[in-house]
Amino acid sequence: MVEVHLDPDVLSGLQEVMEGEYPKLLDTFLDDSQKRVEALRKARDDAKALALIAHSFKGSSGNLGAVRLAHLCQRLEVESVEAAADLGALVDQIDHEFALVKPLYESERQRFQL
Amino acid sequence: MSALAPVLEPLTVLIAEDSATDLLLLSTIIRRQGHHVLTASNGVEAVDLFARERPQLVLMDALMPVMDGFEAARRIKQLAGEALVPIIFLTSLRQSEALAECLDAGGDDFLPKPYNPLILAAKINAMDRLRRLQATVLQQRDLIAKHHDYLLHEQRVAKAVFDKVAHSGCINAAPNIRYLQSPYALFNGDLLLAAYTPAGDMHVLLGDFTGHGLPAAVGAMPLAEVFYGMTAKGYGLTQILREMNAKLKRILPVDMFCCAALLCLSTQRRVVEVWNGGMPDGYVHEVATGKRTPLVSRHLPLGVLSAQAFEDRTEVWPMALGDRVFLLSDGVLDTADANEQLFGAERLQQVFAANREPDCLFEDIEQALAAFCGEVRDDVSMVEITLQAGQSMRATGPLYADSGQSCPLDWSVGFEFRAETLKRYNPLPYLLQLLLEIHGLREQSGALYSVMAELYSNALEHGVLGLDSRLKRDAEGFAQYYRERNERLMRLNSGYVRVQVQVAPTVTGGRMSLRIEDSGPGFDVEQVLARPLDVDRLSGRGLSLVRQLSSDVRWSDGGRSVCVEFCWEALA
Amino acid sequence: MSVVSEVSLDGTKLTIAIKGRFDFGSHQIFREAYERFYKVPDVYVVDLKETTYMDSSALGMLLLLRDHAGGDDAEVQVINISSDVRKILAISNFDKLFDIN
Repeated sequence: MVEVHLDPDVLSGLQEVMEGEYPKLLDTFLDDSQKRVEALRKARDDAKALALIAHSFKGSSGNLGAVRLAHLCQRLEVESVEAAADLGALVDQIDHEFALVKPLYESERQRFQL
Repeated sequence: MSALAPVLEPLTVLIAEDSATDLLLLSTIIRRQGHHVLTASNGVEAVDLFARERPQLVLMDALMPVMDGFEAARRIKQLAGEALVPIIFLTSLRQSEALAECLDAGGDDFLPKPYNPLILAAKINAMDRLRRLQATVLQQRDLIAKHHDYLLHEQRVAKAVFDKVAHSGCINAAPNIRYLQSPYALFNGDLLLAAYTPAGDMHVLLGDFTGHGLPAAVGAMPLAEVFYGMTAKGYGLTQILREMNAKLKRILPVDMFCCAALLCLSTQRRVVEVWNGGMPDGYVHEVATGKRTPLVSRHLPLGVLSAQAFEDRTEVWPMALGDRVFLLSDGVLDTADANEQLFGAERLQQVFAANREPDCLFEDIEQALAAFCGEVRDDVSMVEITLQAGQSMRATGPLYADSGQSCPLDWSVGFEFRAETLKRYNPLPYLLQLLLEIHGLREQSGALYSVMAELYSNALEHGVLGLDSRLKRDAEGFAQYYRERNERLMRLNSGYVRVQVQVAPTVTGGRMSLRIEDSGPGFDVEQVLARPLDVDRLSGRGLSLVRQLSSDVRWSDGGRSVCVEFCWEALA
Repeated sequence: MSVVSEVSLDGTKLTIAIKGRFDFGSHQIFREAYERFYKVPDVYVVDLKETTYMDSSALGMLLLLRDHAGGDDAEVQVINISSDVRKILAISNFDKLFDIN
């Protein structure tokens, strides 16, 4: 599966829309996502909780152009209602994907030193 | 309209979203678009903020902690009441159940993630248009409701005022009148008036103005005033009709008029005089034979023709005691069934034919109408008057204008009414007014007017016009008599009626003698006075009535001159 | 309900045809049918061939037309009258004001 980790067009669109608020949006996303990833790890065995966190995480990562991360969150949200699914493996994948995109956002953030 | 078009008026937009990233993104976009933003991170906060700040539009995430977006939407819609507060759900929900749940909760639209600022602006504008539309509709609905209340209030006031005028007559007091009319008939343009003349005759008017509502009611007031004022003063139908027609012609717009039937029922003379302009056929019901004579509309309604062109010709029909006159409005005949078939005159005739108990005629007609169309309309008016004996003569109260301090007691006056005047002028109301200056006579005003009216019409019809009273023996002759009367009067170019009034004080009070002379051939007084009472009443000259009512009656000059006297005691 | 008006070729006659109900609802459109002609025709014809119903406000409108056409000097013909409409016109004696065929 060929999938983009970070869509640069989305970021340039956001920069245009947010103007001066853009760095703050990146900060918020990084901080928020960190919390979501930790929450997913804690809720590993609670399908219902996983679905809710995944739903929310999917929305924000989609908005910020983390295409693959959003896709994985969506899978987790959908599969959390299926009894036989291996949700733990999905959580690990999300964890891994966030670890991968996090430096990309941080370097984007570096461009705007306050 | 472009999505980026500047907003007309900044809105306050509430955003409920638990993801801090999305909340920041969305609120920045919306603020950039010129709106004021309120933010909440769960349903409970959203509902609280809504109650406090009353934003005009809500962007709501579906899944949130504490209280989800569905429940929050339901509560916000409830708080908003009738006003439209659009709720746009922020969701990329794929399953149709979830979308249905959003709609069920009161959601008006959806916005999928990732957000597109252009689509968001377009949706906000579209929702704002809907919101304004709803606000306008509500505003107009309230305005209409307010106007409706005003209208009802005005109608109540108008009706109260009108009832005071309308009820100054005898419509509810007279024992021989039955009528059926909706309480709001006035606003259908229907009008029913009745009053006694000074001689104790009864005038009845059933009218129907064009149109509905207040426009139909405005003409009723002046019409009622003319009717009551002139009836009380002793004017006959033709003068009253001319005055009503002229007044309505003057005050009503061209396309408004009043269909009317006007009656004068005289127990003393056992006749009914009728003018019908535009009302459906009424009937004289001869109880002894069961015969119903139609009272046909011969004229244009009131308020159409100029005074010059107006036709005041009336018809006169004999009546026995117990006979009835029936009038109705077109609401009866125009009652329609489900197929727009009209009830019509023929079905009414069938009800007449089937009617066994005359007192139940109205009920029979109402039942027939109800059976025909399912219900009786509110513009159905009917009136029935029975000719009854012993209607007392009314004192004409409103005529006295002075304080009683100045009462002339010793005077005389003479008039000569010649052909041109006799044709179109009725001097009786004027004479009565004059004689009622004598306070002592006021008690007897009814008798005085009756005697004057009898003697004047004798002088005019038998004297000047030379009509033979024996014509009036039967109904046909009766009609012929009144036809002749009108024709001869029209052609009249000579002749006179003279009226002499002498008032003198006596030891105990006063005496008024009234002499009436005519230019006719005279008559055999002895022979006429010898006739039995009943013959006299219908085909005679009403002389027994005159003798009954006045102190003294004398004829002279071969029946061409008659003198009556009225005496009174001095007032204490 | 519709009102169709038509001027004869020589411009001397205006025919107004009323289709459907002739009642207060046709007030405005009936007035417009004769008021929009600035040239006054000699004869007005009201064609009731396709009129299904007529009430007293329709009579009022005929009076308005008569007034517009010159009052007592007006020539207004009412044609193609059904028996129901004939009854209404007879009761109100409008045949004294209008030329009714």
